[in-house]
Amino acid sequence: MVSKKKKKYSSGEGAQFMTRKAALKKLQLTLKDFRRICILKGIYPREPRNRKRAQKGAGGIKTLYHTKDIKFLLHEPILWKLRELKTYQQKIRKARAMREYRQMRRYLRDYPDINIDHIVKERYPTFVDALRDLDDCLTLCFLFSTFPSLKRVPRDQSMLCRRLTVEFMHAVIAAKALRKVFVSVKGYYYQVEIEGQTITWIVPHHFSFQPQSKDEVDFKIMSTFVEFYTMMLGFVNFKLYHSLNLVYPPKLTAAFSADSDKDLVDEQQYVSERIAAMNIPVVRITGANEVEELPEIDIFNTEDEDPQKLEEAKEEAEKVKKLKTMFKGLKFYINREVPREPLVFIIRCFGGEVSWDKDHFVGATFDESDESIAYQIVDRPSMEKQYLSRYYIQPQWVFDSVNARTLLPINKYLMGAVLPPHLSPFTDKIRDQVYKPPEERELLDPNLKPLNDDEGSDTDVEEASDEDAEEKEEDSDGDPDEALAKQYQQEVEDESSTEDEDDIDPEKKKIAKEKKKAMAVTTGVPHKEHPYQKEIEDKQAFRLREKLVRKKHRNLYKSMKAGQEKRKKEIWLLRKKRRLLDEKAKEEKKAEKRKQRNQALEAASA
Amino acid sequence: MSVVKKKKHVSKKNKKAWRKHCDIRDVEDFLEEQRLDERLGKFDTKPDSELFVVDTQGDDDDKAKDIKSETSEKVVKPTSAKERKRQQLSKTPKCYEILIPASKVPDPNAKRNHVNPVGSRPTALSKITEKKREEKGKFEKKVEVARKNRKIALDKKRKAKSIRNNFDLDLWGQDLPEAKGIPETLCDDFIPPGALLHNVLPQQRLRPKPPPPKTIVTRSAVDTPHPGISYNPSFKEHQELLQEVVQHEQKMMKREAHLLRVTTGMFSKVTPEQKENQWREEMSVGLPQPHNPANDPSDNETDNEYKAVNPPVKNKKKDHKARRKQKEQLEEKERLKRKKIEKKKISDLYRLRQLQSTISKTETRQAEDRTKRVTKRKIEEATALPALNAHKTPKKEPEYVDPEQLSGDLRTIKSTTNLLRDRFESLQRRGALAASKLMMKKKRKLKSYFKAGHKVTEKDIERYVTRSAGKK
Repeated sequence: MVSKKKKKYSSGEGAQFMTRKAALKKLQLTLKDFRRICILKGIYPREPRNRKRAQKGAGGIKTLYHTKDIKFLLHEPILWKLRELKTYQQKIRKARAMREYRQMRRYLRDYPDINIDHIVKERYPTFVDALRDLDDCLTLCFLFSTFPSLKRVPRDQSMLCRRLTVEFMHAVIAAKALRKVFVSVKGYYYQVEIEGQTITWIVPHHFSFQPQSKDEVDFKIMSTFVEFYTMMLGFVNFKLYHSLNLVYPPKLTAAFSADSDKDLVDEQQYVSERIAAMNIPVVRITGANEVEELPEIDIFNTEDEDPQKLEEAKEEAEKVKKLKTMFKGLKFYINREVPREPLVFIIRCFGGEVSWDKDHFVGATFDESDESIAYQIVDRPSMEKQYLSRYYIQPQWVFDSVNARTLLPINKYLMGAVLPPHLSPFTDKIRDQVYKPPEERELLDPNLKPLNDDEGSDTDVEEASDEDAEEKEEDSDGDPDEALAKQYQQEVEDESSTEDEDDIDPEKKKIAKEKKKAMAVTTGVPHKEHPYQKEIEDKQAFRLREKLVRKKHRNLYKSMKAGQEKRKKEIWLLRKKRRLLDEKAKEEKKAEKRKQRNQALEAASA
Repeated sequence: MSVVKKKKHVSKKNKKAWRKHCDIRDVEDFLEEQRLDERLGKFDTKPDSELFVVDTQGDDDDKAKDIKSETSEKVVKPTSAKERKRQQLSKTPKCYEILIPASKVPDPNAKRNHVNPVGSRPTALSKITEKKREEKGKFEKKVEVARKNRKIALDKKRKAKSIRNNFDLDLWGQDLPEAKGIPETLCDDFIPPGALLHNVLPQQRLRPKPPPPKTIVTRSAVDTPHPGISYNPSFKEHQELLQEVVQHEQKMMKREAHLLRVTTGMFSKVTPEQKENQWREEMSVGLPQPHNPANDPSDNETDNEYKAVNPPVKNKKKDHKARRKQKEQLEEKERLKRKKIEKKKISDLYRLRQLQSTISKTETRQAEDRTKRVTKRKIEEATALPALNAHKTPKKEPEYVDPEQLSGDLRTIKSTTNLLRDRFESLQRRGALAASKLMMKKKRKLKSYFKAGHKVTEKDIERYVTRSAGKK
């Protein structure tokens, strides 16, 4: 018998994909609802490998979804809720049209909420998963928290965003999780590290709200994203507070409760309330102590672990530990012209205390006249009244100190001084392999020796010695066992030489010697570790490990290494040039001086 | 002697023929009987008491009884018409009797849908009576249950709302069974997980979600900022940023110029006069032209002999000599070629090393090119914008920071970037959203006109002005 002819596109790529229209038909949803549920459930359109086949032969570019994705959506209980909501909205519309306003108000009061907490759990099965995806969430929430009520955005959404973001900032303060700050023209970039996950987000500068033009952004879509993200951020906050032994929800100022949103019409006042809220420590759960500091890094002796890397990691941990308590016990006073929000957040993150002008803004904790204030942050060229007991610094000092992870010397940041550039901490590693002039290096690393004339030569010498070491290592087969054997032989010889003095019957002696040798116990020699030899060994081991690089990755590895070498060489060359130039300048200077001196002498003698 | 009837062979090809030659009366009888049985019940199954009556009286009694009953009926007969009517009320009306199924044949559709009869829906009247009875306290229990249910529903709603406000739920604390689609009633400590999973409703059973697209997973949500966009950048980094912007702008300009050249530039411009002339020329093709003596064909070249425009082809044969020459030439050519090849073979022997080196060189070059191509393709794949829609995803543009805007202090920062749009485009670039152009609804153009009597023309104004002037 002839089997039934297979229909085209009933298997393979044609069956894998589904156009948006087909999906709408299958799910029996309107486009609006479909968009919403896709955003909530994290279903995204797909790009097929072969579009022609995926679209079942149709031309053009259509929005395609995985059939499996749509089938997955089919099982979502919210789907029913959405359909119910549609009829509910029809009821409201009808009531409005029939002028039954009482009925309409009742419908509006009992408007059914859609619960999406199970979706949060479904999309992020573990807490770490949620943290990993927090970048977008935080950026959008911070952005929406600056918005007034807009046409297509639910009324309470920006309010909720405000509350949740402040709560999150409090959690960061309590956890001391902030690592990097960058002030850009776009806004403030913050990077925190929570549970080993780095989260980066942008907070816009606080301007008054800029009107958004309609044709650029679809507000409805963005607000749906925010709807999901607020839910997620809420649960993340809850979890964070509980892991930090804090009470959730924290009692913030009255401005953040949902019922009083009408009272704060004034934007300025809202901002100051928000900052004031940040200056209050959060209530801890009774009986709970501070969260214990994490123990030092455990060292697992794995074979392939690079000792250098381990050392780096240790150093990093030490630095972070220092960073966490950088501002501890220091009091800051923020002048009125300085944007307070980022500064309060940062200073409180590292244990400092902050206050500001009591008359202008709420939430000040101490007065300007307090003598224990260590730093006053000022953004104006001069001040009339100054206290001797404190430093007057510009706000950039705080940001740069955080990025440098130490308190920077303040001489460059004093009031009225021309500031050094604010560098980005978000640089990739490859940028380390670029030549930096000594001035810049000093700027980046305050521990570096201040600019000296002999500094260049120093590094050169170091490098030269490195090269020498490499040469030497090839000559000597550094083997500690061999050295030990040599030592042992020498000792044995010494012993034998002392015995030779007796000089009796060589035959017997020989036998005795042999016997003695067999049962001799020599004194133990402590095994000395040669640092140099060890280095050589490490290098050899490294080379061996290099050989184990898979063939698949070998070329890549080689090219990477070659690139590193090349960049190193370039740096070396540029440094050498700089050194020569510096020396030349020095010589010239000396000559000039000598000349001057000679001239002066001549003038004196003449 | 019985005569054996010879069997007659007849065709029973079709239904008609079959009917004609086959005796099926017994089958039909049987079926008839069966139907009758179904209708009236089977004789064999019926008890004897139903079929037979034991005659206990004689014939005389019977007759007497008949008479008696007639008389007694007359006695029992209700006197009033009202009572008679009332008695009939409980009976099914005659007109509906036919609708009552009399057949004993069971309904072939065992599970017939139940349809509510007409009177079962509460009417306005029944509602009022019900309400009255409720007020009297007839359905106390019912009211209580309803109140309870309402409270449960409200509590549930309130709980859901409070979660939305307080997030009072440790989502990642323990494995919430509700998330797996297990019904809430089954979420108890005493029910083993196996039983839980067994009882997951089929409509809620979790399908594994296919993994999200690669672009979403690999591309970062917040890009690392260029160091040049710092509010107080170092000179070098700012210059780098500007350089990027310049390059980007140059690329755009180049592209624009290309498009201009390829589209608008392809067509030459024509002045209206030229166009007119062209048109005239084209339109007058084939029309008799005015006589122009300059265009006259000159007679001096023609010698009155007829010449076809396309003279016929002549089949001119080659002679033997020409053929031989041609052959010889071909052979000579071939010989030279062979010779050259032989010579090359010998010389190649001496060039072996060189050949080898060239081969190896080309191979290495090809390998390099290949790796380059592969890496380039990989990079392009990693950064390619997803095509999810007919609209194009906007490319990422370098941020431009005007050097004049850089004041170096936080107070006077000015920003030109729209962070919301930035987010929106980032989502599009990651493939979370299909690129879109917001379709603005076109405002309906309204024609405005004056109502006939309300038109104010300049004449009217003039008249008004003159009149008002005259009044003064």
